[in-house]
Amino acid sequence: MSVDVAVTGLGVLSAFGAGVDRFWRALVAGESGLGPLRRFAAPPGAAPVAEVPAVEARDHVRSPLGRRIDRVSLLTLAACRLALQDASLDAASLPRARTGLAVGSEFGNLDETAAFLDRLFARGTANPLLFPNLVMNAPLSYTTIELGLTGPSAMLSAGEVSGEAAIAWGAELVAEEGADVCLAGGADELGEALHQIFHEARLLSPTPRPLHSGADGFATGEGAAVLVLEPLARARARGARVYALLLPVAGFALPAPVHGWPRDAATLATRLAPLVSDADLVVAAASGDPQLDVLEAAALAAALGTRTALVTAPRAATGRFGAAGALAAATAALAVAHDLVPPTPGHVPPARHGLAVVAGRARAADVRVAVVDGLARGGACRPLRFEAP
Amino acid sequence: MPPAVVVTGIGAVTALGEGVGALAAGLAAGRCAIGPLTLFPYAGHAAIAAEVRASMSSPSGPLPRATVRRLSRPDRFALVAAAEACGAAGLGPDLGRDAAVYVGITTGGMLETEEAYRRRRAGEDDRFRLSRLLGTPLATAGAVVSQALGLYGRRETFSTACSSSALAVAMAADAVRRGVVPIALAVGTDGLCRLTYAGFDALQALDPEPCRPFDRDRRGLSLGEGAAALVLETAAHARARGARPQAAVLGWAATSDAHHVTAPHPEGAGALAALGAALADARVGPDAVDYVNAHGSGTRQNDAVEVGVLRRVFGRRLGHLPVSSAKSQLGHCLGAAGAVEAVVTVLALREGLLPPTLNLQHPDPAWDDLDLVPAAGRRASLGVAVSSSYGFGGHNVSLVLGREAR
Repeated sequence: MSVDVAVTGLGVLSAFGAGVDRFWRALVAGESGLGPLRRFAAPPGAAPVAEVPAVEARDHVRSPLGRRIDRVSLLTLAACRLALQDASLDAASLPRARTGLAVGSEFGNLDETAAFLDRLFARGTANPLLFPNLVMNAPLSYTTIELGLTGPSAMLSAGEVSGEAAIAWGAELVAEEGADVCLAGGADELGEALHQIFHEARLLSPTPRPLHSGADGFATGEGAAVLVLEPLARARARGARVYALLLPVAGFALPAPVHGWPRDAATLATRLAPLVSDADLVVAAASGDPQLDVLEAAALAAALGTRTALVTAPRAATGRFGAAGALAAATAALAVAHDLVPPTPGHVPPARHGLAVVAGRARAADVRVAVVDGLARGGACRPLRFEAP
Repeated sequence: MPPAVVVTGIGAVTALGEGVGALAAGLAAGRCAIGPLTLFPYAGHAAIAAEVRASMSSPSGPLPRATVRRLSRPDRFALVAAAEACGAAGLGPDLGRDAAVYVGITTGGMLETEEAYRRRRAGEDDRFRLSRLLGTPLATAGAVVSQALGLYGRRETFSTACSSSALAVAMAADAVRRGVVPIALAVGTDGLCRLTYAGFDALQALDPEPCRPFDRDRRGLSLGEGAAALVLETAAHARARGARPQAAVLGWAATSDAHHVTAPHPEGAGALAALGAALADARVGPDAVDYVNAHGSGTRQNDAVEVGVLRRVFGRRLGHLPVSSAKSQLGHCLGAAGAVEAVVTVLALREGLLPPTLNLQHPDPAWDDLDLVPAAGRRASLGVAVSSSYGFGGHNVSLVLGREAR
């Protein structure tokens, strides 16, 4: 037995700032969130990045323990609080033991890990105050403590689909009646060392052009997004706004290099075809990474066959990072709710394989089914499917 | 009745050696694998760990040699343990198309990442080299296992500190029982690194002597490393393909303390809820439990809170219920601990052997009525056992395992 899962709240911290309204308005306006690095010194010639404007701990932290919160945990907590507010839910009145939490992150706390190692290498001593923040699940700990959640919780790390993986876990938990509410999403920060790694490996582009034959790299970034998931019946009973339904979709894996993208677009197309056979919109993983673009465009074109579905790639606006799929999921739910597809900044027609990539301005369309295709290096795929209620 | 979930293959790489055979022999012999820390130089309060010293086999399957050469230690542990479990279960490429992979891990390739970071910061490398950082993302372990062994069902990686791979086992069992995957491999893996070693040491959580779970004089944990893997499927699925169940996963539950970033809840509220819910999920009463494979980390707080939880669940029967901590032999394997201890529990059930709690000189007077299986293991016919894991930040998982499906 499983129940329908409704998305009733969205909390987003992106390069556009805090809040789902700001996120959606900027996306729909075709704005790019990319800009110069501000949090740390940029190496010469650094490409623009999608940085989240300063988030104040005092706006979100209530407990004395939370004073030492790290930035990824703060992004997570803030996204959870914003999502609850958006869902007209009060943390204090949540059913504590029946509220789940799922957070996805590729790298967790990068800044403090670097600071910890710097001192360890320089002086041979560890900072005991930092260490508790360095465990991967710190965002889960701080958020359960701040919101008083004692139900099932999970930290997931799935490379580029860390956000999708956590949202899928939360959706299954609610569908199987393991929780009455689940906060599910992801967060990642852009650390200085990680930026340096991408920069020195020449993976970043000053002008990402997703799904275009001239794509030559991506823009890295950071952010967090959290979805409030609850049984549709519960949402209806409390008169909640329902953005979209989140359908159960199985994840799968494809043969791929351990550290690279799958190469066989035909196999991916076969797996994606049943998911997109009636999709009005595909929220693509594309970020301007040429290898991913080649795979994704060919697979989507083959999976869609003679059908047309609109395609948009929000990572062009808000950056590619491990948890970016949580922002992609929010985009899909918003597109279903508003029957509106935001454009892909930087995309210049023609698209690879003739895909109907929305570019320039937002497109009004009847979006009854939106699919996040959820592709990652190493071959794990974690698609999500949203439908109009 | 929901379908029964059985374990049809197990694998392990621990400080007791490569393979389940070495683990079982070490457990039976009561050998403590905690020795000098040699992996990296460290000058602190403690200088011991349970290191994996075995020169491992390399069941790389179709992985390119360059990939295999660059695997991080924990990714290699995971692969070796997974290959052993799949081999024992007869899980090959034919079943692999839909076989799920569930991984629990906390720091993954951190040891290698630390070195790459140090070299770049010190100017020994003029730029970061991706080839030195391939094991950094935690998802790499699952990718290695999946791609080497041809397992192409869903792939999930959990990281809830010391309960990571107990959660992976629970989630794999859950997916199998619900019928969303026909067969699943659960893997826990982690490797020693400077970050965790120095971090726990700075918190004064490391015992300078090999850890002494439940001892009056316990001073903290001993860190370990390794991997363990379990193949899970329904009893009907195993029967239909002629696979022999080695044990059953009867029930599981996960809860959150919502209390503190490092300390357990003083009354163990979350741990109590997890154990109670896992027994309920297994439809097993406390009276039916024959063995408790404790978290037993050897910290002052954990052991006291854990015994308190056990008293509340098992009441006066606790005095007659064997409780032991495998961490006294294998160290605390962090992200791998849940899976390693699940495999230890499967061995206890299958072999009828209670693994001992080593280094127990003076049982804490607060629980000197308990049967902590001191000094040496002993034979016992066991039907049902529980294994619990408690992670930093208050993430609790309890597993209920049985010699046979019920």
